[in-house]
Amino acid sequence: MDEMDCKILNALQYEFPLSERPYDRIAEKLGISGDELWTRITALTDRGVIRRMGASLDSRKLGYSSTLAAVSIPASDVDRAAEVVGRYPEVTHSYLRDDQFNIWFTIIAPDRSRITRILDEIRADLAIDNDRILNLPVVRLFKLDARFKSSPNDH
Amino acid sequence: MEDRLSHIERRILAILQGGLPKSRTPYKDMAVQADLDTKQILAVLQQWKRQHKIRRIGAIVNYYKVGLEAGAMVVWQVEPERIKRIGEEMAAFKQVSHAYQRQTAENWPYNLYTMVHAETLDETRRIVQQISDACGVSDYRILDTLRELKKTPPTYIINGE
Repeated sequence: MDEMDCKILNALQYEFPLSERPYDRIAEKLGISGDELWTRITALTDRGVIRRMGASLDSRKLGYSSTLAAVSIPASDVDRAAEVVGRYPEVTHSYLRDDQFNIWFTIIAPDRSRITRILDEIRADLAIDNDRILNLPVVRLFKLDARFKSSPNDH
Repeated sequence: MEDRLSHIERRILAILQGGLPKSRTPYKDMAVQADLDTKQILAVLQQWKRQHKIRRIGAIVNYYKVGLEAGAMVVWQVEPERIKRIGEEMAAFKQVSHAYQRQTAENWPYNLYTMVHAETLDETRRIVQQISDACGVSDYRILDTLRELKKTPPTYIINGE
């Protein structure tokens, strides 16, 4: 990843314009052609550096409810449990973590009652007791910053 | 409670949730898909940005590929009367990307959640120790990420409804 790639990554993350031809605007700003920019973006995407182009949305401000949940599952059952949890479109991220509560996942749904229903279904499907599932909605947000500045020595 | 989304807004959200179209004119492509004008799309997105419904629009970068290999969720047990100050202190660490206060459960007393990122697992441990010392919180658990099981953009509009 060279210096231009880093400039591109930063511009795509922080300054992506809301205009008819956003990529051409960025190319102009960086002093390269639209074609070169597009070629570099395609390469960064193919290498998996750029996951996707999209919006980070505030689900609460859009009128949705969300939560962080966890289940405690024996190691031998993890794959099936991951499948059960992951099949809900409302489940957005799910991670296997090194703890007694080992599968952690976030849910975004139109309201609290839908979240409760999903968790009830998951608990029933996995045949686990109430104390093996956690529902941990946010009380207060201190920081949310999933952006990372790139520098040329990053691979 | 926030206002309900309008019909036009729901059509835009149904496309936006899956990401911007892979084209050099993404908003124009969204307009075609939603059967709207590009100007309408841009007006709604600009409004959402002003209202902070959109936190950010652009590239979602895979940070494991830009040098930050190790990530851990660290959960802390903080006295309720100290939690606001401690939460703000922890949020000030640059290696902390997320910091939340969350509800507790009977068998889960942790109320403060941080995501800590570093280049290696050892480095993560060192930073967590630093945070613990600086904030005077000794009751915590480090939940290392063993595997990503699912990571998809949130689905707001299911089956176009």
